[in-house]
Amino acid sequence: MEGLYKFLETNSIYIVLFIVLVIWLGIFLFLQSMDKRIKQIEKEIKGSKA
Amino acid sequence: MIWKTVLFILMLFVIIAGISFPIVENPAHWYQFPVIPGLEEKAKIIFFHVPTAWLTVVAFLVSTVYSIKYLKNKDLDDDAKAIAAAQIGIMFCILATVTGSIWAKFNWGSYWNWDPRETSIFMLLLIYGAFFALRSAIEVEEKRAALSAVYSIIAFVTVPFFIFIMPRIMTGLHPGSANDTNAGPVVNFKMNGNMMLVFFTSLIAFTILFFWMWTLNYKSIIYKDKLTKNIL
Repeated sequence: MEGLYKFLETNSIYIVLFIVLVIWLGIFLFLQSMDKRIKQIEKEIKGSKA
Repeated sequence: MIWKTVLFILMLFVIIAGISFPIVENPAHWYQFPVIPGLEEKAKIIFFHVPTAWLTVVAFLVSTVYSIKYLKNKDLDDDAKAIAAAQIGIMFCILATVTGSIWAKFNWGSYWNWDPRETSIFMLLLIYGAFFALRSAIEVEEKRAALSAVYSIIAFVTVPFFIFIMPRIMTGLHPGSANDTNAGPVVNFKMNGNMMLVFFTSLIAFTILFFWMWTLNYKSIIYKDKLTKNIL
């Protein structure tokens, strides 16, 4: 653990990398869940029409 | 949906390669990026800042295309598509401004110094800001759609000038200005093969991301509109 801290202290770009990866995962999952919900509404609308 | 997996992997590649690959004097390995004079370590912004500016142009172009379509067919769905694209466009425009401003602090020493590039993007923000002000000021739907379609078409005429031309014909600090030794790392291909690969992968990934966001945005606008009007 001590070694990891030392490594990250001199290579802080990996912390940036980690944060950006988390942000991308968040954006992706958010869009994915939005997509699912909109498709559900689409289905409901089509169901009520028929 | 295969394209979502492709988008996820492409963006993952861009993030990991773009951030962690080292920039060295003489690249000897496949994973090393070359030093671009004047940019050095800060050149990594190319993979994220340039695609956001690129998406601004794409989004405003899509908005204009659907504005023309609206004026032709008078279909309110086209108006929803145009406004959805413009909304995402201004979001990416703000992102390009903010990322550029933070980069300027570390490369030029101040967040904002009215460089031609900064001035031009600020003008663009004002022009499209007025677009949303115009939309929110009109209540009648057809009138709002028609007026904003016309405004969007005229506004887009300025986009290529502000993004591609003005910052290149004026002297400034931004890479690619008139007093720069080249037209910028993107146009002059100062990057080596793997840097270009990451850059163009980033452009493709961001473009796919835009079309996904745009589809979700216009669908939600159209459905909300239809549900509130209860015409389903």
